[in-house]
Amino acid sequence: MAALLELKNLSVSFDAAQGELQAVREVSLTLHPGEVLALVGESGCGKTVLCRSVMGLLPANARIKGGSILLNSVDITHYRPHELERLRGRVLSMALQDPLSALNPTIPVGEQIAEAIPKQERSVRRVVELMELVGIPEPEQRRRWYPHQFSGGMRQRCVLAAALAAAPQILFADEPTTALDVTIQAQILDLLRTFSRTLPTACLLVSHDLGAVARAADRVAVMYAGKIVETGTAEEIFSEPRHPYTQGLLRSLPSLARRGKPLYTIPGMPPPLTRLPPGDAFACRNEHAMQIDYEQMPPMFPVSETHAAATWLLDPRAPTMPPPSGAQATDLPAPPHPRKEELLLDVRGLSCEYRPRRRTVVRALDNLSFRLYRGEIFGLVGESGSGKSTAARCVMNICRPSAGYIRYQGIDICSPREFRLNRKLLQTSRQLIFQDSASSLDGKMTVADLIAEPMKLHRIRPPRGSLRQEAAFQLHYVGLDESCLDQYPAELSGGQRQRVAVARALCMEPDLLVADEPVASLDVSIQAQMMNLFRHLRAEHGVSILFIAHDLSIVRYLCDRVGVLYRGRLVECAPTEALFSAPAHPYTQALLSAVPIPDPARERGRRLLPLVETSLSGTLSEIAPEHFVLKGDAL
Amino acid sequence: MTHRNFWLSCGQKLLVFLLSIFVLSAAVFYAARLSPGDPLVSYYGGRAEKMTPEERSRAEERLGLHDAVHVQYLRWLRDAAHGEFGVSYKYKTDVLKVIWGRFPNTLILGGASFALIFTLALGLGILCVWYEGRWLDRLICRAGTVVSCVPEFWLSLVLILVFSVWLRWLPSSGAYTVGREYDLSDRILHLLLPVTVATAGHLWYYAYMVRSRLLDELCAGYVLFAEAKGLAKRTVLFRHCLRNVLPSYLSMMAVSVPHILGGTYIIEAVFSYPGLGTLAYESARWKDYNLLMVLCLFTGIAVIFCGMLAQILNERIDPRIREALPPQERKENGHG
Repeated sequence: MAALLELKNLSVSFDAAQGELQAVREVSLTLHPGEVLALVGESGCGKTVLCRSVMGLLPANARIKGGSILLNSVDITHYRPHELERLRGRVLSMALQDPLSALNPTIPVGEQIAEAIPKQERSVRRVVELMELVGIPEPEQRRRWYPHQFSGGMRQRCVLAAALAAAPQILFADEPTTALDVTIQAQILDLLRTFSRTLPTACLLVSHDLGAVARAADRVAVMYAGKIVETGTAEEIFSEPRHPYTQGLLRSLPSLARRGKPLYTIPGMPPPLTRLPPGDAFACRNEHAMQIDYEQMPPMFPVSETHAAATWLLDPRAPTMPPPSGAQATDLPAPPHPRKEELLLDVRGLSCEYRPRRRTVVRALDNLSFRLYRGEIFGLVGESGSGKSTAARCVMNICRPSAGYIRYQGIDICSPREFRLNRKLLQTSRQLIFQDSASSLDGKMTVADLIAEPMKLHRIRPPRGSLRQEAAFQLHYVGLDESCLDQYPAELSGGQRQRVAVARALCMEPDLLVADEPVASLDVSIQAQMMNLFRHLRAEHGVSILFIAHDLSIVRYLCDRVGVLYRGRLVECAPTEALFSAPAHPYTQALLSAVPIPDPARERGRRLLPLVETSLSGTLSEIAPEHFVLKGDAL
Repeated sequence: MTHRNFWLSCGQKLLVFLLSIFVLSAAVFYAARLSPGDPLVSYYGGRAEKMTPEERSRAEERLGLHDAVHVQYLRWLRDAAHGEFGVSYKYKTDVLKVIWGRFPNTLILGGASFALIFTLALGLGILCVWYEGRWLDRLICRAGTVVSCVPEFWLSLVLILVFSVWLRWLPSSGAYTVGREYDLSDRILHLLLPVTVATAGHLWYYAYMVRSRLLDELCAGYVLFAEAKGLAKRTVLFRHCLRNVLPSYLSMMAVSVPHILGGTYIIEAVFSYPGLGTLAYESARWKDYNLLMVLCLFTGIAVIFCGMLAQILNERIDPRIREALPPQERKENGHG
């Protein structure tokens, strides 16, 4: 079969302040009609740049340095902007990561889909057809809706509809499911897979999430520091990865780890793309690296007809590598079981309402009750809009509940009087970590100032001499070194920033950490590091954590007990193992069925449980020790 | 928004409007009386200085200046409620008539400047964005910085010196040549210099705003996606970006009315242009209380009205604000 798209030794560089930044290095790839090729790698490895260089949408300071792009055997590498403009939409199309920002907020979605349709075919009927194709119900009415009126998943469907409007031959899907809930994630991935089968559209699926890729991809290419390090069919990559980086990525997935064992983390950091080593860029993070790894770039060694990896370990002269083991060398002691006697946080009957308009009341939280004991990690899971963040805000006194009470160490924090009396204790011993570290850290302050700011605000004498020493200590604690102290948040990577946010929370030596999706925006390997950090905090310092997440595999790995929120109500609350082995509420069951498994064979055979509308009235009843389920009248 | 709510909010706005006018009138009334000067001079001219104390006291009584300030204010308020704003001391006629004679002049000057400022600013802003970083963009930006630093009165004087005194192309003052009152071309000639000064002073600020807002919009994800859909750069700029910039531009226009109005008052004074600006200046200087009150109220009403208009525009144009979602929910929609 002739290749639809063929990249030959493509190199793309940026002119950065520090010199040449090699974002893509000699990448060779082929994409065949009707296939889904997944491009996997951590953020900053050049995945997006690769897509945009094919689309001709590189930023002004980037240029294609070498190699060629063949589209249907025609070289388009040196096409002029207006020639590429003609290809875009019709031959090449792209769906972006964030469906909210990809749609113009002030134009109805139907109009935005229509403008992507070639002029001669443009009609309302075609728009409705496209919206039906991507599974948007009631397209006749909804085409007049504005993007903000749709949910995240529906918005991503609108983006897909617009991307497919001119029947392109190739669809670049750049992290299409990263911002979505698990249940919707699976639906969108299924949609992509269907398109590549039924429409004449091949798909290049870019993702950092290996689990998501397993569901949709036929072939997988793993990218590291601008280079493709391994390619193969999905089965080959997931069952017998040959490159140490691929192996590391797979091992750091929480869904494959055993509870109680620390997660595997790939040591070190990716090299800066401005100063790449002469040899294998992964060598210094590779436990089995040999002399030659540091000196010479490894070629692609074929493993089978479809499988190839760029590592010297596959050279016939290399020693046979021991099979990767699940646990890491540095084993943490098992965490002490949380002592149930000391109640830290007691939430009873919490309801929170707000009025978007006069006379309409939206109930963000409805009669939520849970308890958090000292030294425990309690997970709150649910889809977006289920009230998780509102719960966190109520616990942190940011939102005012309309009913119910919250007691923290016996203090009723919702009473203004008690809050005033215990202000200092409440504000220092509870700390909040946000999902988006880029916006929760002031970009105009240095890391040292950011970390020490809470101390300054509360006029606490730094126990380690100066505020700066304190900041350095906390940085060390979360695994960064002092060189970061004078940097600004924008100079750090996402994982480093999130660590700074944790360090800022830790400098007050809190008893309770409220972590609102702290790892949702991070790469798999950094996610693993962060989760090990949380485990360490709990084990060594007895910090209690209210951990809010939508990723169930993380919650399963990290939390002692889990509460499932659905539309503001707690539908199930149980110890983690009990919940995952015997989910009792239909919503929990549907949620669990949607968690991606990084195994293509199992993943594709898996059927999604449909989300049925369940009655949310009724009371929590205990069906097993400590296992509470919402039992409605209908059940 | 339901109809009931709409009328409710209109009523609310009207109430705020009347209240602000009331406060404004009281403040102006007191401020005018407290400042030094002799109101009789504006009424009697040079004669006032030769008056005997008895004559003075009688004159003051006739003009109602004898009573306590709050009594005077209440009397003025009662008359104003009946539509009587009194007689101008200087012109000895009804103040509304005096103002009505000058109003069209200011309207033409202000209106022409206003229209010119905002069309040119939009055009320059778009031009800058289209040629971003190239010489045209840089030239416009540099020129703007220099020109907007020049004070208006100085610029007026230089222009008068060049075009009226040296070149003798344009008239230096007034709204028309005596005797050619109905000659349109003569009126336009008289408007050229004041409009140029008003425009040159305010234009750049708004052009920069258009430029930076458009550049912000160009970084948005939907621009990348629109280009990926195969739209041309022009379509993306005009259909997508401009559409998102225009609402704030419109409300900016409404807010800027008083700003530009204030600018034209100064320019009128420099060019001795017979508009409300010169009138206000004279009335304040000659203690022409009744005239001053009405002029201040008039300007105040314009300012407050435009502010409200801007607010309404902002609320109505953006579909997200129209539905008045609370910020919290919008944010949660954002990540999923």
